[in-house]
Amino acid sequence: MSVLDVRNLSVQYPTENGAAEIVKDISFKVEKGEIAGLVGESGSGKSTAMLAVMGLLGERASVRYDQITVSGEAPVPGKNVAMIFQDSLSCLNPSVKIGRQIMETVRSRRKCSRKEAASRSQELLEMAGIRNPELRMRQYPFELSGGMRQRVVLAIALACEPELIIADEPTTALDALVQAQILQLFKRIVRETGTSMLMVSHDMGVTAALCSRVYVMHGGRIEESGTAEDIFYSPSEEYTKLLLRDARGGSLSGMKKEDSLAGQADKCRAEDEPILKMEHVTKIFDASEGIRDLSLEIRSGEILALVGESGSGKTTAARILTGMLTEDEGTVYYHGKVLDRRKRMELFEGRVQMVFQDPYASLNPCLTVREALAEALEAAACRKSVKTDRDRMMQARTDEKIDEMLRMTGLTPEDADRYPRDFSGGQRQRIGIARALIVEPEILVCDEALSSLDATTREQILELIFQIQRKIGFACLFISHDMHVVRRISDRIGVMYGGHIVETGKTKKICADPWHPYTKQLIEAVPEPDPIRAAKIKAAPVKDSADINPSGCAFAGRCGYAMECCGSEIPEDYAFEGREIFCFLYSDRHSGRRSSDYRMTSQI
Amino acid sequence: MLRYTWKRILTGILSLFVLVTVTFFLVRLIPGSPFRQGGVSEQVVETIEQEYGLNEPVLTQYFSYIGNVLRGDLGVSYQDPATRVTEIIARAWPVTASIGITALAVSVLLGTGLGILRAVTKRRFVRELISAGGMLAAGIPGFAAAILLLLVFSVKLKWLPASGLLSPAHYILPVTALSLYPAAMIARLVGNTLDSELQKDYVLFARAKGIGKWQIIFTHALKNAYLPVLNYIGPASASLLTGSFVIESIFTIPGLGREFVGSITNRDYTLILGLTVFMGAVVIIVNLLTDLLCAWLDPQTRRAYKKAGDSAK
Repeated sequence: MSVLDVRNLSVQYPTENGAAEIVKDISFKVEKGEIAGLVGESGSGKSTAMLAVMGLLGERASVRYDQITVSGEAPVPGKNVAMIFQDSLSCLNPSVKIGRQIMETVRSRRKCSRKEAASRSQELLEMAGIRNPELRMRQYPFELSGGMRQRVVLAIALACEPELIIADEPTTALDALVQAQILQLFKRIVRETGTSMLMVSHDMGVTAALCSRVYVMHGGRIEESGTAEDIFYSPSEEYTKLLLRDARGGSLSGMKKEDSLAGQADKCRAEDEPILKMEHVTKIFDASEGIRDLSLEIRSGEILALVGESGSGKTTAARILTGMLTEDEGTVYYHGKVLDRRKRMELFEGRVQMVFQDPYASLNPCLTVREALAEALEAAACRKSVKTDRDRMMQARTDEKIDEMLRMTGLTPEDADRYPRDFSGGQRQRIGIARALIVEPEILVCDEALSSLDATTREQILELIFQIQRKIGFACLFISHDMHVVRRISDRIGVMYGGHIVETGKTKKICADPWHPYTKQLIEAVPEPDPIRAAKIKAAPVKDSADINPSGCAFAGRCGYAMECCGSEIPEDYAFEGREIFCFLYSDRHSGRRSSDYRMTSQI
Repeated sequence: MLRYTWKRILTGILSLFVLVTVTFFLVRLIPGSPFRQGGVSEQVVETIEQEYGLNEPVLTQYFSYIGNVLRGDLGVSYQDPATRVTEIIARAWPVTASIGITALAVSVLLGTGLGILRAVTKRRFVRELISAGGMLAAGIPGFAAAILLLLVFSVKLKWLPASGLLSPAHYILPVTALSLYPAAMIARLVGNTLDSELQKDYVLFARAKGIGKWQIIFTHALKNAYLPVLNYIGPASASLLTGSFVIESIFTIPGLGREFVGSITNRDYTLILGLTVFMGAVVIIVNLLTDLLCAWLDPQTRRAYKKAGDSAK
């Protein structure tokens, strides 16, 4: 008998114009001890279907089904099924200690004393890969890192002793390395406890890494189902093929850039000095946050990507460049001239624009698209022009410009008079891009601009940024924790760890042959949409605290190749063939003195 | 956080000082003299004024008063020179506070209960009833509610005594009149914040892990929902503790409010000032405690507090 057996499940929501069917007559099964996957883009009804299975949908939803059983019985949340959600921060109560949140689960499942519950909780936390559970139980959710919180959530789910765990996008909010750790944890838990798992995800790579059976969902229907091998190697439905193509990322049409742009970019490099350059900039907030002795430059017409896990200082670096933060030490140059912060702010009115991560929060809900774009134009122009009689003409020109910008970002001029709430996440991000580009900036800063979008939308926006960049030719600083995205859009990459740049160089070279141990980990941690290869993803050992030793290499504590000198000296900058790397493995000391024409190869 | 606490205490003391100063000079602006009533001869008045130092320059009077306050001496009542102002406060405040605290307890319990009921109930009728009742209770002015209660329950029905504070039954009407407004406000606040807390993911997750409905409300949602409510309860309790002139007058309760009204009609400078200083101090202290409590209840600020304390050591 299957652990989960769902037959003909439909979910409807009443709307103004009749009932909207979010889930349309789907059936699926999960067998004992297996991890099944449900993939599809956001809005395909995956989460709604899962909540319906759990019986946790609101009263407005009308749920119909022929059968939902967990090992032949009706599903009871917290007893035979448990669920894990995407955002571990919001699904743990912020003002209740971890220990209490897990103990109450233990005690609601079976009657036992506080003491027994506490020791059982510790056991569960340890099982979920948390070291020092006693300490963690006395802490609040905000005191733990994202990866650790997701482990806590898993421990809570395990406390229910369920036959099935439904995991709804459990790793989407995590960066690649932590994701790899969590995925391995899931595998181990399923193997050790015999619990079955239903993994809901938009990420084909994650699905490939874990699942043995896959259901592809689209528009409320299950389009295709089968074993992982069937789905990934011989998909029959068009939609599945599309998902796989997006996930493999071969189709970015701008990939033809080699012929048209690589040459051009090289030309730029030869004659242009960098637009923006920072040298030895330090900005420290906390013992573990901020950036240290960072040098970076953006050249005109290039896309420079900064990658690294959260807290590695990417955003800080960008904020210093744009003048939103003041550096503690170091200098910033603009076209070769030194700029202090105040001047930077002034100069950058209109010349540097940002696209933010959250397309919902970064648009004012009370302004129509036209108003938002016009405001941006006005803000950029207000320094130059005092009000003139030509206001009306200006108005007409503004409108024209707005229409043109909307068309360029894949929206229509009619969209201008609508409000942000009328748009989907991807469309809102288009508006954000339009707002940034309408003032014709020299530099566009995209701070995790794609992170909150699902795969298909991300693909479209990625392509959009790429296309427009190639067309207009602004410089772009692209910040992301997603190596997969960065690899495809950027010309150059700066890999950051612990406030330092550990490696920079041309994207293609770095991705094909990462030199720094951290870069290597980062690239290997991304699961590919291929069950055989994804099963082999490596997870770096878990570190409870990413304590950074200020007197040595930042990465030394997590590095498998760390030598004695890594703990006591900060590696210098070793440059070979346009690549710079900050690692002792590439020092003279380690690899010997080299002549100038020596071809450096990866040392690991 | 430690700095914040000190800052709050210092600003509290500063505002108390400003309060004393402003009241001191305002009182002097009330026309007439405390002793020029009922045809007392001019000579007598002058003697008495000399006795109390009222013939000296105002500034001198002010500084000597401030000095006395710092020593904890609020002077004697002009109307009744045998009793000190501190004695009057010691006599009247327990009366006011006993009603105030009862009213506070009633409004917190009633308000929270109704608020929870409003957020949890599936019956639309109950929701609407609580909302409408709350609006009505908050809308009726205190004196109108007091007179209405008095008319119905003691004059017409003769169920409850009308004045004084002799037995527990005497408490019912004034406490009801006092707690109507705060109870309605608390019910409204609790209902609203609880509504939005119940939408949050951690509630969904708690349901998914099999926690019961009431446990979710009391151990999870209410904990987060109560912070904004506390911010209201603080100032509300300060006003309940300093007494209501209107309610105390209507039910003839010998509390602070009545003393205050009496002192103003008698131009009893020292009593007016003394009561103002006392009430001001109560308001400022209660608000300070509320702010600190709110900060303490938020684990994030509490942890910052602890960290600062550790590093200070």
